[in-house]
Amino acid sequence: MQFDTFTLRLKKLEVFPYLLLLPAILMMVVVNVTPILQGFYMSLLKLNQYTLSQYLDAPFIGVENYRRILFESHSPIRAGLGFALRNTLLYTLMVSVLAIAIGLGVATLLNRDFPGRNIARTLLLLPWIVPSYVVGTLWGFMWQRDVGIINVVLVDWLHLFDERPFWLLGSNSFWAIVIPTVWRAWPVMMLIFLAALQAIPDDQYEAATLDGVSKWKQFFHITLPLLKPVIVIQFMFQIIDNIYSYNIVSMMFGNGAGHPGEWADLLMPLLTRQSFSYWLFGQGAAVSFIMMVLMLVFVGIWMKSFKRSMTSDD
Amino acid sequence: MTTSGIKARFLTGLLLAGSITATGSAARAAELNIWVMSTTAQQQQDMKELLRPYLASNPSLRVNVTVLNWESAWSKITAAAASGQGPDILELGTTWVAAISSMNALEPVSQQQQTQMGSAKAFIPAVWGTTHRFDDSTVYAIPWYADARAAFYRTDVFKKAGVNPKEAFTNWTSFKQAMQKINGQVVDGKKMYALGYPGKNDWNVLHNLAPWVWNAGGDFLSADKTHSVINSPEALQAITYYTSFAAEGLVPSSALEKDSTQIEAGFFNGNYAVIFSGSWILKQLTMPKAKGGQMESLAAHNFGIESYPAGLKGNQTFFSGSDLAIMKSSKNKDQAWKLLTYLTSRDAEVTYSKMSAMLPARLDALNDPVLMADPHYADFVAQVKNGRHYPSIPGWGPLESVYLKNIGNMFDIVAGVKGKYSTQAIKQALDTTAAEANDVLDESR
Repeated sequence: MQFDTFTLRLKKLEVFPYLLLLPAILMMVVVNVTPILQGFYMSLLKLNQYTLSQYLDAPFIGVENYRRILFESHSPIRAGLGFALRNTLLYTLMVSVLAIAIGLGVATLLNRDFPGRNIARTLLLLPWIVPSYVVGTLWGFMWQRDVGIINVVLVDWLHLFDERPFWLLGSNSFWAIVIPTVWRAWPVMMLIFLAALQAIPDDQYEAATLDGVSKWKQFFHITLPLLKPVIVIQFMFQIIDNIYSYNIVSMMFGNGAGHPGEWADLLMPLLTRQSFSYWLFGQGAAVSFIMMVLMLVFVGIWMKSFKRSMTSDD
Repeated sequence: MTTSGIKARFLTGLLLAGSITATGSAARAAELNIWVMSTTAQQQQDMKELLRPYLASNPSLRVNVTVLNWESAWSKITAAAASGQGPDILELGTTWVAAISSMNALEPVSQQQQTQMGSAKAFIPAVWGTTHRFDDSTVYAIPWYADARAAFYRTDVFKKAGVNPKEAFTNWTSFKQAMQKINGQVVDGKKMYALGYPGKNDWNVLHNLAPWVWNAGGDFLSADKTHSVINSPEALQAITYYTSFAAEGLVPSSALEKDSTQIEAGFFNGNYAVIFSGSWILKQLTMPKAKGGQMESLAAHNFGIESYPAGLKGNQTFFSGSDLAIMKSSKNKDQAWKLLTYLTSRDAEVTYSKMSAMLPARLDALNDPVLMADPHYADFVAQVKNGRHYPSIPGWGPLESVYLKNIGNMFDIVAGVKGKYSTQAIKQALDTTAAEANDVLDESR
């Protein structure tokens, strides 16, 4: 009898936490797992304009979509993929590094007492509040060759160029997407680094100052190592965010109607175009799935490499 | 039945993203849902006004109008077509009818219904051609309004340069000569460029090019509609001629990064002496600044309209517009048809034309004396005989996207930021375009 009560209690103990987890698990299944599985299944179908109404009953073609994307140079989805891939990698790396560097730099500058500190922090945060599609539209005007403010400043005021450069045509369009993205991304980095900086105990700096260590050395030997966990995590988030970048490119080059060209096209705009403008939904789903797997591999490697840095005990 | 219902909902949820306002309520006898695109300045209010007489004589009927913007309409409509859950009546861009009908989403218009509406002879031919596939006579939609393109030019600038507009727009040679004479004229203290057209960051890229390609005897698709002919010698000739204006400085290279709206603004502001655009500009030129128009501008008092200059093989202009169709999923097809006949009736098309400055698609409405009283409007009506539309094929959407992307990119060459501009470079760009277009055509078969 006593034994029975014990097992019952044990059973209760085992089941109860899972019951509590159940809503979260259900939510994960509905919100994450189901669409992923559905997306994967879509990538195995011949899903185009004529078969779209059959949706998941569209002809099953196995890994044909993957074969076409990966091995058939004539696949429409491959057109421009090389450019988009190159741009996305350069763009992601550049935006992530710059946003973190500027965010960290400004956070360090702001992490001291000076009059109007709170106002400065609030004002510097403003670019982050602007929605990315508005950023795309506004910078689209600012980059204009003849009337845009950027050329007015660079050419008319600073005389940095003899001739007004194009920013929305040709290779310069790469900078036309990098700079606004950095402009919008660094303030939130700053905010996060500021919070992390404030968690570093003052006595470490005091001890270093007493030992005659310069401010630069303090930054490299105290601040940076202690911020490493935050930097590692933020870098990963930045990479994920920027690889999936869409809005700024889409809005800057003809509100989604134009084409950003071979120097500003990124993977996500390309994928959207190939899927929704060319109606190759099956191939689009296959590319999405490949991207997701690559991303998982990247995140896995990143997490494994920096696991020690990310644990607070370290 | 249930599974397909769930599936349909899944699909709607996946693609529709927030436009389900008008679905699912068609069951009530006296309620109709209609999706229209934002074409007038105040579409929702204008629709209310347009429907007022009809609703007054049908007091038990309720019409829910959902206004879609042109940029996002396509994905919402394809989602509705794929899921079979949409409104009773749908406005479709003229290039979309073949595609949506091929998805089996539209209710065919019977012979009897066509006769009731006056059939083909009652409508602008170029627009009627879009109500069915080029290879199938089954009609799926009724034309609502037409969008025609023509040249807008500054009369004062032409006069100052001593150029006769009629002669200037006669043919390609005279047009080029006229533009060379006009380029650099100073009006109101401002140096003007002869011509303004957008380059790649625009949705009109192909529409702008179409009349030139057609007038040179070229086309976008082969006669059997199976492959792209954008790299044919005729098309190359047209595109080289068209882009030569930018290469020779008659179009400022800064125009090539702008969109159509910015180019129109440039015409209103006196930056360009000529632009090619649609009748909707007339509305802006007659509306006071306080209401967002350009009535007070110098351009508004000094402009004229001419046809596209004739090429070696013709004098055609690009026509498009919108048709109205009934969705197969409508539970109220009779009521929907009645409303559709009202909206495409002579009076309603005239009223809507006043609101949108588009041309009525119905010929008897097109020649309405009140509308014709405006000489500029009449200039547009004169274009009807030259009107031409893209071939009505189900795969036009993807094809246009390929053209839009590749020809858009070609303007990098024209602007001089990607290699040297030459006929050879343009030919190469067009060969790439044709190859990609053919791939997409093959893929969507």
